[in-house]
Amino acid sequence: MINFAWLRSIFTMELRQIITYRADFWVNFVGNASITFILAYFLWAGIFEANQAESMNGFTMKDIILYYLIVPQLMRIQQGSGIGNISREIYDGGLTKYLLYPVNYYVHKIIVYFAHTTFYILQLFLIIFLYWTFTGEEGVLQFSALQFFLFLLSLYFIALLYFSMSSISEFIAFWADNIWSLGVIIRFVVSFLGGALIPLTFFPQWAQAILYKTPFPYLITFPFDVLTKPLIIEKYFENLIIITFWTAIFMTMSYFVWNKGKYKYSGVGI
Amino acid sequence: MIEVKNLSKNFKVHKKKEGLKGSIRSLIKRDYIIKEAVKDLNLTLADGEILGLIGANGAGKTTLTKMLAGIIHPSEGSVSVLGFDPWKRENAYRSQMSLIMGQKAQLWWDLPAMDGYLLLKEIYQIPVQEFKERVEFLSKSLGIDKELNVQVRRLSLGERMKVELIAALLHNPKVVFLDEPTIGLDLTAQKAVRTFIKNYRKEFNPIMILTSHYMEDIEELCERVVIMKEGQFIFDGNIKEIQTKFAKKKMIKVQTSQTIDPNEFPAELGDVKIINKHEQCVYSPREKTMQAASHILNHYEVQDLTIQEEEIGDLIESIMRQND
Repeated sequence: MINFAWLRSIFTMELRQIITYRADFWVNFVGNASITFILAYFLWAGIFEANQAESMNGFTMKDIILYYLIVPQLMRIQQGSGIGNISREIYDGGLTKYLLYPVNYYVHKIIVYFAHTTFYILQLFLIIFLYWTFTGEEGVLQFSALQFFLFLLSLYFIALLYFSMSSISEFIAFWADNIWSLGVIIRFVVSFLGGALIPLTFFPQWAQAILYKTPFPYLITFPFDVLTKPLIIEKYFENLIIITFWTAIFMTMSYFVWNKGKYKYSGVGI
Repeated sequence: MIEVKNLSKNFKVHKKKEGLKGSIRSLIKRDYIIKEAVKDLNLTLADGEILGLIGANGAGKTTLTKMLAGIIHPSEGSVSVLGFDPWKRENAYRSQMSLIMGQKAQLWWDLPAMDGYLLLKEIYQIPVQEFKERVEFLSKSLGIDKELNVQVRRLSLGERMKVELIAALLHNPKVVFLDEPTIGLDLTAQKAVRTFIKNYRKEFNPIMILTSHYMEDIEELCERVVIMKEGQFIFDGNIKEIQTKFAKKKMIKVQTSQTIDPNEFPAELGDVKIINKHEQCVYSPREKTMQAASHILNHYEVQDLTIQEEEIGDLIESIMRQND
């Protein structure tokens, strides 16, 4: 039987921990939302000016502004508690306390991850609110209540997909101690192939066709499209099934790595 | 009941040569050594028994505790705790067991202890009323009931250990592993923790294994001790047996009007340790103790003389130092 009270407790406790430090909340928010946006804005303003174009690969300058406001936050949302959350615990022995509790460590970590995801979703609400406040009539972001709900749902799906993918590399810490670089590589690969650095429509058609056979576009382009493009329900659920498929594959792989790695754990630090 | 049979644990450890050259070389080729942390251990503990596990750093105490708690996998042998194989980490076992680590916090650093307890309540599925009573009982016994809503990181080391003890005992475990629970604490806090453990044991009677470097902990709490050295048990028995088995000398405590000169005292009768000008200790071989006492009485102006067994703590330390 699933212990829902436990899941709720972990979730709320993690959320409380995240928002314990007020200053960090605002620095995190302003820093994350503004830096990537400012860089992207000046870069793309230059590109549009140099090309003397109103629109490029389906994106106007207004669309680009919206894209680079939302996509970095989508990256944060899917990356939940970030690189090293599990591997650090393996490295410094923090895993020990979870092994003592009569609960599933993997599920525990997923809930912790979702707490971070939720925190970044709250920040995304604030970004959308600020966008509407500043752009007024000029804004290009419009969506229905259903669209918004499905967008929210998709965010937890992509967070779970990213978690399952990154947990494989995190468990490699059973052998390699420090897997930070591997985590950074995965993050870069996802950013690039998922469309966070450059929208996927700027990639050649053949590359897009290949990319949609991988999980990467579903991590960024898919949720962005759900929020900003006309909703096709069948396509939406088809994409959720694909995400679930990839998640199941990565979780299975992760389970095998954990099962091998747990014999290597020495619980250092106690 | 705890049963350990032929238990061994080996670690494969990377051995790096010193200096920058060694570091660069280790990028390409690594040498490993096999470290035998514990070797062929056998141990049986009855329900309600408390065992003191002592030994120098690296003797294998913590490795053994980790295997009993199911954190690490044994290389060889078997472990059974309450009829469970700890390594299988069945929830039924983990619900009845607890590990308190003096050097590692289990509670959440940025939140008050009470927030952590509320999570543990859900993890162990403790009914609300029982939880309230348990927190109240444990926190009052430890005199920490006013600090439960303070962020854990803002508590003193002693207070932190006390809130950790509550966290570990909330679910009323049948087996408790205490790994250096008094490490780093001041004398008052050490005493408070010891008194608490003693009273707790009297009331709830769990199996306890206590690892500590402080002899006061062991002497006050444990009747049975196991001394570990280089991964093996070199003694397993009642704490008082240590004296009969290992004490080769007795201590003659003497108060004299003049100091006994260690150079003048017959070497075959014992070694003299001067405490102060008028107080000395003579460590005399057991079979020569009476002879030594008579020599002191005949040759010095004695105000007081007592013959004692060597302190257990000193004995254990000397056992552990042997062959170092």
